[in-house]
Amino acid sequence: MTKRWLSAAVAAALAIGVAACGGTPGQDKPKTTQQGDAQAQQVKTDGFDKLGPVTLRVVSSEGSGGPRIAVRELTKQFEAKYPNVTVKVSFRAFSSWIKQVKLEMASDNPPDVAAGNQGYQVDGELVKAGLIMPLDKYAKAYGWEKSFSDLALQQFKWSSDGTQFGTGSIYGVAQSGQSVGVFANKAKLEAAGVDPASLKTFDDFDKALPKIKASVPASEPVIMLGNKEQYPVIHLWGTLQGVYSPAQEVRDWIFHRPGQSFDNDGNKQSLEKLKAWNDAGYFGRGDDYNGRAELDAANLFARGKGAFMLGGNWNAQTVVDGLKGDAMFFDMPPGPSGKAAAIGSASVPIHISAKTKQPDLAAAYIDFIAGRSASKALVDTTQVPAIVDPTAEPSAQFTREVAQGWQTLVDAGGLTLYPDWSSPTMLETMGQSFQELLADRASVQDVTKRIQDDWTAYDKELGGK
Amino acid sequence: MGISTPTGVGGTEQPAGARASAGALDAPELKVRVRAPGEPRRVAYLYLAPALLFYLIFAFGPLIYTTWLSFFQWDGITVGKWVGLDNYDRVLSDPAIRSSFVHSLVLIVFYALVPCALGLFLASVMAHSRIRGVGFFRAVLFLPQTIATVVVAIAWVWIYGQNGPINQGLRAIGLGGLTRSWLGDFDLALPAVGLIGTWVMFGLCMVLFVAGIQKIPQTLYEAARVDGAGRLREFFAVTLPALRGELAVALTLTTILALRTFDLVYVATSGGPGSTTTVPSFLVYQNAFANGRVGLAASVAVVLTVLIFAVAFVITRIVDRDPTQ
Repeated sequence: MTKRWLSAAVAAALAIGVAACGGTPGQDKPKTTQQGDAQAQQVKTDGFDKLGPVTLRVVSSEGSGGPRIAVRELTKQFEAKYPNVTVKVSFRAFSSWIKQVKLEMASDNPPDVAAGNQGYQVDGELVKAGLIMPLDKYAKAYGWEKSFSDLALQQFKWSSDGTQFGTGSIYGVAQSGQSVGVFANKAKLEAAGVDPASLKTFDDFDKALPKIKASVPASEPVIMLGNKEQYPVIHLWGTLQGVYSPAQEVRDWIFHRPGQSFDNDGNKQSLEKLKAWNDAGYFGRGDDYNGRAELDAANLFARGKGAFMLGGNWNAQTVVDGLKGDAMFFDMPPGPSGKAAAIGSASVPIHISAKTKQPDLAAAYIDFIAGRSASKALVDTTQVPAIVDPTAEPSAQFTREVAQGWQTLVDAGGLTLYPDWSSPTMLETMGQSFQELLADRASVQDVTKRIQDDWTAYDKELGGK
Repeated sequence: MGISTPTGVGGTEQPAGARASAGALDAPELKVRVRAPGEPRRVAYLYLAPALLFYLIFAFGPLIYTTWLSFFQWDGITVGKWVGLDNYDRVLSDPAIRSSFVHSLVLIVFYALVPCALGLFLASVMAHSRIRGVGFFRAVLFLPQTIATVVVAIAWVWIYGQNGPINQGLRAIGLGGLTRSWLGDFDLALPAVGLIGTWVMFGLCMVLFVAGIQKIPQTLYEAARVDGAGRLREFFAVTLPALRGELAVALTLTTILALRTFDLVYVATSGGPGSTTTVPSFLVYQNAFANGRVGLAASVAVVLTVLIFAVAFVITRIVDRDPTQ
């Protein structure tokens, strides 16, 4: 009898379980209808003060430093402009937000406005699932097509099924231009007898490193690096990739244009160079930088450790706060091609949920914090506005250098975007294999193969749909 | 079990007799089914129902659902694609996933074996020494167990850090050459994470063993001493066999925690450097939430669950069995 009861209970449990499954996962959620399709082209860009009390829920992934200050300030100004509008901004750390964004946007009550991330890992999936709305009509209404360069807009464009990146509708815009370049500590360079102005080519830069190495204490790295998160060394390497590989080739690979491969001479040379720098001890000891987070590295550099830091310009505020007048920023001097190229792109795209009840207001908010009205707040926090027609220019020398670094890359067509956009797993693949390369656990050949294998596997997946 | 038989027999007979007399010699009355006190009755399921339902919905249901998901290729939001056993095939063949299971076996040493050994040692020392304020020491040693793991991990990241107390200590005694960022070292990161686990777990083991030792009759120790046993002999002849049950509990608990550890790894190393500290539960998280491979994540979770069941089963079989039977 006990047995019979037990089996009955198990059967019931199974039934519950299977019922809970409800067949194929994801099937119960109908593809969200894109609001506004019906009243296409009917876009409201003002008059929001007559809406009555409304709340706009926003998630920003600008979790720290200058970018966060700017979002706060701009939000305050937006609320002042429309006193009936309350904007609730929730700040999340970028690295954890990109793991939550898909779930939150898929929930029944998602934020109206949320940051995404370019590439197949986040934006591609959000578009594919119909969780964010195309913003073409707003782009027209607010003149985003003029304010943003083609290359910037390309990063926000997707085919509606999320398989083609770089073409199709615009799904968001971003606030700032982010590029990876060289932060330098003027005092350290002078102490080593290196004139920053003499670093005209990559060769000059490369030859300055041993000189600096000889002048700093043995325990101190020449190039400050914090690679606990595994992505900072990808950024660092991106400055070398720009020396050896044409930017267009790098972008074609990221956008999965046909016939691309990571396994080419340029990439191998830049990986060899990265390895050679590491072996020469320019980054300090492997266990040191692998145990140090990016922000810790920026703080150490700001406190005078290391002569260079090859990192993103989003660290600019942190660096200048510490080094003051000794802080310098410039792009990695170009290689034989003479063209500047480095990892860089617009900052994370800001999207509107397909389920929002206030798409017009949400678009107005995005335009306010990313469009022309945002320029001053961005410049004040040592950032570079992503738009090409900003309304404010930086006055401080260092901020001008940061802006110049971005502008030079834009003008030269040298922004190579981020290689990890190329597949949902690329960040992990590259992050791990780069660490292994530097620790002598993988060869350049192993690394290029692993990266290309990841790309090829995803390329097949994209083609299969 | 010597005692249970007499009660069982008496139990069945007594109510039968009582009924017979109440039924006033009516023979068929004897056919009435009689039940020993404590024998299950159907109504018991009613009492169990609330908890059972809760269990089915919140523990069993998700388990079934996870298993179901593991047969799909699914990004978590769009419609999934049935792939049968492909995900399991990948779990068994992908070297990265396989090595994560190896890492958690290494962690078992640090989370379970070392803490149990340490706990046994501390417990036997504490049980036989007259230390003033033994309660205080016990509380201090148990303290790690009461702190949230994330807090523990953050504290240890600092302890292991470049300028943390370990490296400072090494420098102070002239061993500056040995300093390193322990969690950033390819060879040492996994043991370093493991030692955090040891620190957290040994207090639990110790408390279990101290409680166990207290219920061992003092006469056994006296007998052992009369027989001329030393401290060591006494430990192996009296203490250890008597703690069999506690040892099984401690080993099972700590091994399960070792196998499913996530928060420590996530905060301390995020699986790095390279992939030297990835563990299955971290891969579940990474694949489900970052990489959009929910099916693969589910299959790793299922394999992990099966492994945990198997290991727990083996431990209770080996350790908890009374060798005298």
